[in-house]
Amino acid sequence: MPLREPSTIFFQSDNVRRTIIASYWIIIILALPLWWKTTSIERLSLPSSRVRNQASKALRLPVHIQLPGSYLDTTKRSQDQLAQTLSKQGVDVVFTGGHIEGSNPTYILKHATNGLVLSDRELEYDFSDESKLSTILSELLCPPQQGHVVAPYSPRFRLSFTLLNEDSTSGNYVRSWDVSRGIRQYITPLLDQLSLLHNFTIESQVQYHAPLAFKPRPTRLSSEDLSVFVNSAEWSLCDQPLEMPESFLLPQWGGIVVHDPPSLSVDDIFPIFARQLLSLLGVSPLPVGVKYTGDVPISRWQLEALLRRRTLENTHSSQDTLRSIVTLVDQIEGMPVGWNVKDDILDALDALDKVYASSSASLRETVKQSTDAIVLASRAFFNPDMLALLYFPAEHKYAVYAPLFASAVIPVIAAAVRELLAWRRQRRQQT
Amino acid sequence: MATVPTILLQILATFIAGSGLAQASSSSGEEFSEELQIRPLRDGRVASTFSFRTFLHGATPRSPESLGSDDKSQHYHVFPLALGQILREYAVTELHLSMNAGKWNYDEWGYPGELGVATGAELWAWMGEGGIYTVDERWSGLRNALSGLFCASLASMDEQRTTSPLMTFVPEGDLPNWPGPHLLRHASLPSEHVCTENLTPFLKLLPCKSFSGIASLLNPHRLFDADWHGMSAHVLWHASQGVEVRLSFQLVSDPLRQSSSKRRDWSFRSLFDRSIDNRCPVASSSTIDVKLPAEEAYSLEPSPSSSDGGIGRYNLNVDGHLPSDIAMRWPSEFQYPLGSASVPLVPLALQRTLTGASQANGHLAVRVQNRLNEELRVVYLETMPWLVQFYAHTLSATVDGRKHAGLISNVSYFPPLHHSRPTTFQAILTLPPKSTVALSMDVSKAFLRYTDHQPDAQRGWDLPPAIFVPLRNGSDRIDGHSLGQRIYTPTLLVDLATPDFSMPYNVIIFTCTVMAFIFGSVFNLLTRKFVVVHLDDQHKE
Repeated sequence: MPLREPSTIFFQSDNVRRTIIASYWIIIILALPLWWKTTSIERLSLPSSRVRNQASKALRLPVHIQLPGSYLDTTKRSQDQLAQTLSKQGVDVVFTGGHIEGSNPTYILKHATNGLVLSDRELEYDFSDESKLSTILSELLCPPQQGHVVAPYSPRFRLSFTLLNEDSTSGNYVRSWDVSRGIRQYITPLLDQLSLLHNFTIESQVQYHAPLAFKPRPTRLSSEDLSVFVNSAEWSLCDQPLEMPESFLLPQWGGIVVHDPPSLSVDDIFPIFARQLLSLLGVSPLPVGVKYTGDVPISRWQLEALLRRRTLENTHSSQDTLRSIVTLVDQIEGMPVGWNVKDDILDALDALDKVYASSSASLRETVKQSTDAIVLASRAFFNPDMLALLYFPAEHKYAVYAPLFASAVIPVIAAAVRELLAWRRQRRQQT
Repeated sequence: MATVPTILLQILATFIAGSGLAQASSSSGEEFSEELQIRPLRDGRVASTFSFRTFLHGATPRSPESLGSDDKSQHYHVFPLALGQILREYAVTELHLSMNAGKWNYDEWGYPGELGVATGAELWAWMGEGGIYTVDERWSGLRNALSGLFCASLASMDEQRTTSPLMTFVPEGDLPNWPGPHLLRHASLPSEHVCTENLTPFLKLLPCKSFSGIASLLNPHRLFDADWHGMSAHVLWHASQGVEVRLSFQLVSDPLRQSSSKRRDWSFRSLFDRSIDNRCPVASSSTIDVKLPAEEAYSLEPSPSSSDGGIGRYNLNVDGHLPSDIAMRWPSEFQYPLGSASVPLVPLALQRTLTGASQANGHLAVRVQNRLNEELRVVYLETMPWLVQFYAHTLSATVDGRKHAGLISNVSYFPPLHHSRPTTFQAILTLPPKSTVALSMDVSKAFLRYTDHQPDAQRGWDLPPAIFVPLRNGSDRIDGHSLGQRIYTPTLLVDLATPDFSMPYNVIIFTCTVMAFIFGSVFNLLTRKFVVVHLDDQHKE
């Protein structure tokens, strides 16, 4: 067969060769977005500026106090002192002589000489002695924080009542207790009042073998004994005055009542449990000298002080949480952010906006919105999807891509460059 | 199931033993009883079965319809709260969990006290359908919760191992009459190994823990030293009695192994290295049953308070003197029974093997021997993870080497789906008297993706046991009253094609080189410009 001149074969023409090279490049360029889409992590943009803006705000809750008209001017000094104290804690006090219209109710001070008596939103106070006014009001409206004793906020608490017998084989033990009556009588009324903040699940059990890790002395437990009481060195115990039956609190965890037989009555035990539960949930005791005459266990003053405190805490910590999410997502580039995270963040921001909007109108609404905000913000923060690709580093990707793509792309680039040079030379020769 | 964050507040009342006596009246409908059965076996070993029963009289399982709303408070005295929480959270009507180590030798040991003796873990539950959560969601939650409670890897019994073999696992208790039907979920995990970390939470569920009563014999050092050991938890509902929780521990110890004089004498001291020093005060009954050898001389110390039908019984709660240690002695040395003269203890003898040397195909062979003088019908169940797939059309059955028709009936077969569903093969076998039926089936072994391989050291894949359940005489009904006792075959081990995990990068590089070479060659051919080079004539010279 005779040899043919290569330039006469159709696929050896310059145009065909250039089309082939161009088609490679077109395919590579068209494939780039697809490759980018399939290998990138879904990272929705977060409303960062809205979060930062929100986080820089500080919530203030107003409190209206109505004084008898005649004392409105004479107690100016106490009023200023109280306003100053409470202002640091995010509460603005407004004193008035008469009733203020609005859904956020007013606390009413009345003049009476038979001591400090509390009922509903009223306080009887002897205005002849002004010296204690600001202290008493400050303790009632913003009770001093019990610090680490109060359990962190949670929308649901599980209350577990456990009766522990040290050693039931000694023949001296309590087989069962009337826990339902104790709970009904002493605990449920408290939980009903706190239902705005928390839901509760209650359960109880009896343990017949719960040996102590130390030998108790006959009458008293020392604070050293307490530190090993729960067989756990991690719980720091607060020293509280012990009484008979002896009882103490484990901060943020629970309370313990030590009871010495002969007889067990839930009427001895459950009032102490109720008191411990109030401390753990953050209900402050009334200031010394204040008498309370209401028919529900927690007075309006205490309950609303707790609501204010939880609202401020929840708002503050949901702002912090949102800011942390934004910072974290900014810092870690490989962290995916899905729709559920973004939706939770947006809903939390909306709830926070509503907190600020309703803060001067209705305390109950503000509480509700602030709990929504913290639940949504925590759910966004702990969303497990955000951990998905955290441990798949970019170096790993390059290590896999480089051997395949580098070796394949180099001939393509080389051919393109060669062809380009040939084309330029051809044009120069033509001109 | 999505849950809101919950914080647990504990309120404890502690009683320190003092001077006075305080025994409050036993008010509730809860009852706890404990029992230990000890059985000398004919191969010289000793089988012990501890069982701890708690009754919650008048209680009913939680209806799945009520799952969305708050549950009623749970107040228990002797009923285990940790288990109660799980049962109510997932609305479980009946539950059986067993975790065993070792192979139960039916030929020498007979039927076990608790039937669930499959090697590894086995979990099955009956749950009502209805409400806002599906049965599968609750089954998944239940597995995870039990994993946490018993410190076991039950969570890996996912949908790839979950089956619903209705013919084999019938409810042992009653099912409430709810609008929705009850569904069965069953899963087994043959590679799970029971050990001390599972026993500790198990003991915490007992009212007397291991401090007093029969449970004080549960000494982990000796339990896990036994030739075979296993624990199980069962929850059932009896319409007339309420909810029953039965926790049990079984072990087969070998006194001959520890004896220097070929004697099979045993005592609590020698078996458990413990003795019963105190009664469990909340146990309504506390008994120890010892099976007495029928035709041999022996001595039992102390003598039982009653003996009836070949069983000596000690009642710890009634006897004035607490028999802290019980010992059984034989006057002569133990002679291992040789030959096949001994009476069969179970009607079937089972053998199951997976043959075939290749990594792609194999052969499953099952031999079932009917030892009775009458025809026997048995339910045969194979559940296989999708790693091994049956060629069901190759199923063949022979009786004593001859082909035989009509052996297999009522076949139900769910083929596996890769990465999602296991095989369920159920059939009824009709076994002629005194004969051996051999079943065989071809199987194919899956080729796994590299992410499918387990992270632990490669030892092959454990396959769950097959289960045989004899049907009572001639009965065609397959409900709870016509099934006999389950018999498990030993588990199998399959070797699948395993890559060399040490060189994935080398493989990547090699593959990429080949790809780049092919690409480059094709590309060059397509774009190469051929030219004819004319050599000058002068050059030729």
